[in-house]
Amino acid sequence: MNDASAIELASAALKLASAAGAESAEASVSIARRFHAEARDNAISKLEASTGKGLFMRVFRGGRKATLTTSDFSLEGMDEAIRRAVAQADQVAVDEFAGLPDVVATDDVDLALFDSRIADRDGADKLDDAIKLERLIREADARVVNSSGSNYTDAIAVSAIANTSGFSAVYKWTRAGRSTGPVAIDGGVKRIAHYGTAGRYLGDLEAPAAVATTAVRRAVDLFGARKPPTMRVPVIFERDVAATFLDDVFSAISAANVAVDNSWLTERTGRRIGSELVTIVDDGRLVGKLGSSPFDGEGVPTQRTAVFERGTLRTFLYDTYYARKLGAVSTGNSTGGGIGPNNFYLEPGAMSLAELIASTPLGVLVLDTIGFATEHASGTYSRGARGFFIENGEVAYPIDEFTVAGQYVDMLANIDGIANDLQFDAGVVSPSFRVSELMVSGN
Amino acid sequence: MFDESLLSRLLDRALQRGGEYADVFCERRRTVSYRLQDGRIHDASYGVTLGVGVRVVVGESAGFASSDDLSTDALMEAADSASLIARTAPSGKVGAAQLRLENVPKLYDCDLLTAIDGARYAALLERADVAARRYDPRIVAVNAQVVDEIQEVWIATSEGRIVRDCRPLVTLGIQTVATDKSERSSGYVGDGGRTSIAYFDRQTPEMLAEDAARIATVNLSAAPAPAGEMEMIVGAGGGGVLLHEAVGHGLESDFNRRGTSLYSGRVGEGVASELVTIYDDGNLHEERGSINVDDEGVPGQHKVLVENGVLRGYMQDTLNARLMGTHSTGSGRRQSFRYAPQPRMCNTYMPNGDSTVEEILASTKRGIYAKSFAGGQVEIAKGDFVFMVGEGYLVENGKITAPVRNATIVGNGPDAMRKVVAVGNDSRLARGHYTCGKGGQSVPVGVGMPTVKISSITVGGTQHE
Repeated sequence: MNDASAIELASAALKLASAAGAESAEASVSIARRFHAEARDNAISKLEASTGKGLFMRVFRGGRKATLTTSDFSLEGMDEAIRRAVAQADQVAVDEFAGLPDVVATDDVDLALFDSRIADRDGADKLDDAIKLERLIREADARVVNSSGSNYTDAIAVSAIANTSGFSAVYKWTRAGRSTGPVAIDGGVKRIAHYGTAGRYLGDLEAPAAVATTAVRRAVDLFGARKPPTMRVPVIFERDVAATFLDDVFSAISAANVAVDNSWLTERTGRRIGSELVTIVDDGRLVGKLGSSPFDGEGVPTQRTAVFERGTLRTFLYDTYYARKLGAVSTGNSTGGGIGPNNFYLEPGAMSLAELIASTPLGVLVLDTIGFATEHASGTYSRGARGFFIENGEVAYPIDEFTVAGQYVDMLANIDGIANDLQFDAGVVSPSFRVSELMVSGN
Repeated sequence: MFDESLLSRLLDRALQRGGEYADVFCERRRTVSYRLQDGRIHDASYGVTLGVGVRVVVGESAGFASSDDLSTDALMEAADSASLIARTAPSGKVGAAQLRLENVPKLYDCDLLTAIDGARYAALLERADVAARRYDPRIVAVNAQVVDEIQEVWIATSEGRIVRDCRPLVTLGIQTVATDKSERSSGYVGDGGRTSIAYFDRQTPEMLAEDAARIATVNLSAAPAPAGEMEMIVGAGGGGVLLHEAVGHGLESDFNRRGTSLYSGRVGEGVASELVTIYDDGNLHEERGSINVDDEGVPGQHKVLVENGVLRGYMQDTLNARLMGTHSTGSGRRQSFRYAPQPRMCNTYMPNGDSTVEEILASTKRGIYAKSFAGGQVEIAKGDFVFMVGEGYLVENGKITAPVRNATIVGNGPDAMRKVVAVGNDSRLARGHYTCGKGGQSVPVGVGMPTVKISSITVGGTQHE
């Protein structure tokens, strides 16, 4: 796997597209070597290692666009797929905004996204990583009697892009992660928890012992959980759950949703939505972070964009198409086929999570939610949850089988405390934060 | 496309270091899709998935590797890579048996030859757009997508089985957004199955679009959902998401073999009200979750999961069935050649009971009527689930009184199943558009349900009385 082969494949695809009648085209090629070891008990229970390639293309003809994805890199296979995609464009409406981007990345920035330690890591070390984590969760608490597996994963990849305007660029990246799913049993009740860590660098990962401790605590600390009373109370979202809230905010910020009236933030730019504490940023240029890349899915340079500044909605996030359509400029958020986050995060506050809890006389700490947003138009948040009831600034008892619900705009407006525990262990991340009042439904 | 001698050599190579079982999964899939936005065809796309996955099973362990490069060298390298598992686990060496082509059942037709007629797909979407906007002037946006896919698979196993299947899958999804001054809401309807786009000659885009528009406008005038415990009526068809989440996942054999499911070791025990019977069926004609053979080459089956409240069995793939001393139930499925199979659901549904919908409504003093769900999720160790109500109503003193929006239901699988107090006589499968995610893999599934009443459940709304 090397830079040149990815660029060559992209260039070959562009030639075929031109021959098939495309007036302009863009080709993205990724080649990734992925590894996954899962351990259970003292043995490796799953071992996967593969190199995979993917081609994604956009082809344009007469103001119409079509896209193509394929894993077939044979010349005949690529040619046939490209011809079909170009032909399919005939059914698409002429769209003045469709086309290659106006600006592409030429700054050749090095964001340090490649860790040679991951690339060079010995296979046996990787297996030991998973086995060690599996041993640690069982040592952490006698009630951990089983697990859904402890994992080490990594990927070593090259991503290239080229278009018919003569642009081509490539970068290499790595990613590694470890995760575990301890199962604990107490009094006939079975509890499973999941926790993991990930990063571009092996050295960025939380140590196996830390991952094991957090995962096990998430399982065993919830024994004896009961339903909380149905009431309006302050709710603290622990950072992993807070990140899923940020995922939902991203959906509403995406110009693709805004353009089709499927966002609760439509027509709200320039307005104060969140509390004074709420600054939300999308930044593709953070050195060595998971959400970073020198350019986006159409070659536009990534950047830092303040989306919310002290509560005020400053901008949506755009690719080239939706920027043209909505009269804005691309923020470097194209995924190729749509709009996606870079490093999208809520700015952290000064206090620790413990201090945030201590400053909450009565409330709920949410550790984990299930369910997901299915509807972005109305802006209602509602999730199944588990966590702890807080009394007198202290964690009083575990709770589960309840829901937390409210309107996203109210939640942003009512954020009255943000912790300092932000970690860039994914693309969309958040520190823990507190919403001053939310509906909790239990008994 | 993949010749028998190559598959045979790959199996031998995969078992070179030992192992009890190996399989080779070859896939060629083409996906055509068109998307409508702003009343116009906005996007067309063509996709090809082509490659081979090789797996070796040694005891409780599995090695897996895939290749999108179909050269013999690359495939042999994938087999070598998968075989490495046999160095880390105790092994008993078995050679691959002579391959024998097996016939597969035929639950659906697969037409590889008809040319792609772009205008036909475009017309479906445009008709949906017109129909949704005509339904109500408050519909301000329509987003629709049609996806037409054909997946060909060739599966060879070290037991000597080689099978081929060709699986069509069409889906038409329509999302509408309605606004009324300050309020904004959306509605979604999807339909399809393992058939061709001729399916939408019968289930017309107009029917589906009007329903999507109806849901968006009903939600526009809906009150915020109440919060707290109350009775729940689960609607026929789409209510089957409840079975899928609350029970189905917990009966997948990987969780049970590993003892991580709350249903582990409980076959023969009562796990639900006597009124509850649940099937998972891979054999239904042209349904979205049906499979002639699963992704390990085993024919799809009709499985009794729960019968009159008693747990009867799990959904098995080859690996877990072998370790549990039983047979695969044709439940081994994978997203693509890049993934090893997992035990998965096909079409999960509850057959008819003997109550009428009228009786169920009349018996409800205060509750929520969830006509359809927009999605759900379960935690399999304790069985806690949530699902999001797509279309819901408040029921008071035996009558539907008002629509409610954005309700989330939270509960515990066995607890909810014990609280089933009435099962309707109107069982049907939901429209085919459900996709199930597990362990990072998505597969198409079906769900079905009669109208069912649950005596008490927690509704997570925003209105507290």
